[in-house]
Amino acid sequence: MQVEVTFLTRRGADAIMRKSQTVTADALRFGRGSDNEVQLPDIRVGLHAAVLAEREAGIVVEQSGDLALRINGASAASGTVRSGDRIHLGPYEIVIVDPPQGFDAAITVELLQPLGDAMERLLAQSRIGLVQAGLSRRRWSWALFVLFAALGLALPLAVYPLGHAVKSSNAVPPVDAIDFVNLSWNPGDLSNPHRFFAQNCATCHRGVLAAVPDAACLTCHAGIGSHLAANADLGPARADLAATRCAECHEEHRGIDAMVIRADALCTDCHATLKETAPKADVQDVTRYPQGHPQFRATVVADAAKPSFARMMLGGDPKPVDRSNLVFSHAAHLIPTGFLTPSGHKVMTCADCHVPEPGGMGFLPVTFEGQCHSCHDLKFDADLPWREVPHGDAARVKSAVQDFYARAALEGGVLDPDAPALVRRPVGTPLPAASESERRDALAWAAKRANDAMGIIFDEKRGCAYCHVTDRSNGAFTVAPVVLRARFLPQAQFDHSKHLALDCSQCHDSRHSEKSSDVLLPGIESCVSCHGGERASLKTRSTCTSCHLFHRQEFGPMKTASADK
Amino acid sequence: MRANLPAAADAGARPAHEEDRHTPFLMYRRFFYFKIALAAAVVSIVLYYGYRPRGEPYGGTWVGYLLGTVGALLILWLMWFGYRKRAYAGNQGKLEAWLSAHVYFGLGLLVVATLHTGFHFGWNIHTAAYALMCLVIASGAFGIYCYVHYPPLMTQNRASTTMPQMLARIAVLNDELRAAAMGIDDASARLVTRSIDNTEIGGRTWQQVSGRYPRCATAAALAGIDAIVASGAPERQIGYRRLRVLLDEKAQILGRVRRDISYKAMMDIWLYVHVPLSFALLAALLAHVVSVFVYW
Repeated sequence: MQVEVTFLTRRGADAIMRKSQTVTADALRFGRGSDNEVQLPDIRVGLHAAVLAEREAGIVVEQSGDLALRINGASAASGTVRSGDRIHLGPYEIVIVDPPQGFDAAITVELLQPLGDAMERLLAQSRIGLVQAGLSRRRWSWALFVLFAALGLALPLAVYPLGHAVKSSNAVPPVDAIDFVNLSWNPGDLSNPHRFFAQNCATCHRGVLAAVPDAACLTCHAGIGSHLAANADLGPARADLAATRCAECHEEHRGIDAMVIRADALCTDCHATLKETAPKADVQDVTRYPQGHPQFRATVVADAAKPSFARMMLGGDPKPVDRSNLVFSHAAHLIPTGFLTPSGHKVMTCADCHVPEPGGMGFLPVTFEGQCHSCHDLKFDADLPWREVPHGDAARVKSAVQDFYARAALEGGVLDPDAPALVRRPVGTPLPAASESERRDALAWAAKRANDAMGIIFDEKRGCAYCHVTDRSNGAFTVAPVVLRARFLPQAQFDHSKHLALDCSQCHDSRHSEKSSDVLLPGIESCVSCHGGERASLKTRSTCTSCHLFHRQEFGPMKTASADK
Repeated sequence: MRANLPAAADAGARPAHEEDRHTPFLMYRRFFYFKIALAAAVVSIVLYYGYRPRGEPYGGTWVGYLLGTVGALLILWLMWFGYRKRAYAGNQGKLEAWLSAHVYFGLGLLVVATLHTGFHFGWNIHTAAYALMCLVIASGAFGIYCYVHYPPLMTQNRASTTMPQMLARIAVLNDELRAAAMGIDDASARLVTRSIDNTEIGGRTWQQVSGRYPRCATAAALAGIDAIVASGAPERQIGYRRLRVLLDEKAQILGRVRRDISYKAMMDIWLYVHVPLSFALLAALLAHVVSVFVYW
């Protein structure tokens, strides 16, 4: 078979280059391999891809490799072809054309899909750089910005006017979605007592760019005590304090425990110079604790009769003296080896008389009935040891004794052999018709016995004078009023229950005190041994508020609800 | 510190200053911006611990407001670097200086902002802003590491060529492979075709960053050809040997190209965290500042 094979190469749109060659063979093999009659030098074509041969039916083309043939657009493994038919083999197009004179067949071969530029193809396949991988900084930046602006800024702002305030502590609304949005702006935990309305910002915050006003605090805390006595003359100090907002000392959003500022400086701002700014307040200057804190001034009884009190510095001159009008010796009671009492041998301790009050901060008042009567009785007649005079009222004592003997005379049964017969008659015997002299004798006897008893009772050493300051001038017998102070340092809050680990005698030297006018308080040096200042490293840290209260309920309310700060 | 080139460098050893050539931004003007940032940090610490507020240290004490204002202005200035970076015609100062300042002031911001918080943290927008800032700074610190660590590796990997040069060589090798594969069997030809047509360069994020291409067609072709050569049929040895040489060289260059892409990707990837988070921080910062004024 003689075939004319024409290779076509297109250059541009119009120009076609033709290169023809004659192939003589029984069958025309097409393929990549160089042993093919028609070599198609492209890697996309199989080594031996197809065969064209002459058969009885005509020219037949058969597929001989894996690559599929397409004859006139239709996939086929083989087919009879004639002039005009197009066969596609990989990227090649083979067209059957009319054979020229002397040839059995003629074909044109054209590479339809040239490979093109290798570099271009390589670059088209490459995706170098993260932008090519689809990452976008801009998209993510916008997304995150919008997300945080929406959730963190726009939403809380939108919800701001809708927040509800808590008007009183028993009207707390249930928590809703708006409250959770509000909480996202909460910069710190509220103090524990306020946590129940942490989500209701409007309770305290009353306006944009406005600090928390006093009126917000006074909604619930209207009755909080003042720091200053209402009528005291305190000069500019009063105006200074009145101009201070609650929130300047009470900072919220500082954590569960941290609402009240306890720094010394808050107090010493005024108290370092108070003696100059408010001399009538009679408050010593305090610059710091412990170095700048003055010695304690005990409030003692100056005159129990009025009564009037005075503040006297411990260890000062004059020595502080508590004129309670009681005659009492701690030393006589606190004998370490003990002594005999009506109920047997007893070693007395502080706790026998000083009973802690409920809560344990201080002690219950010492009373005769509670603490003294068990040992100190008020007998007045040796024959009748169970009879005692009433305590605490000299006039009643006298009438009680007189009434007693008068009744004894009336009832009879008196054993005294010197008594008149009328009085000595047995009990139950009716009163005989007595003569004038017998009645006078009986009255005289009663009066004498009463006088004798009163003599004992009002004796200089026995009787009331054993414990009391008595006065026998002007003929009448009076017992000076006794004023016992419960607290000698009323401006401070010493809590005995917090100091139970100490023994009483570590602070109070009562064992050697023989007079009740002794002031048995320890000075500041006793406290300083354990209590250091605000930033003490090896002592108990103590600030002003450790011992002193700012808000004093006894002074009345600090601010009124009309305060507009 | 730019050392002078030694008169005769040791063969094979990198010059002592080559490391330095890659980190001028850290050493700019003899650590000028580092010194300023350090001084600012020290001043902040002294202020914070020296000033004793009445209550607790807090963002709202005067030291807190001062540190907060400085921190916010710092954040805005640090973000401006993204704009300055692309202002090619700008006369706002050398980019190298800007980068050095950006890095050191960004690290200093960590100190300033942490002290501003007074160490109060909670589940709120304020701590969210702080956390975002920390993430931005951390990603930036990772970026510093990348900028110091990878450029020398890239230089070494490229070994005096450029990326376009390497790609061009691969394209040429592809053409030569096509020619060399004329006489081989169809199965091997398919392997070689696949190697040519599916030369994976770059691609998805993980591929670029890791430099691992488990389905690399060139490696598959190499393995296939190796198997044939090893089977020992003599008529195949010569033709396939040339193929093997070509494929081997292509594999070597591909390895270098992919390594280069991986290093470049590492130097870029942290910015996809750093920049978006800094915009998130901007929004959170805005919310933080507005909330302070609203709830004064």
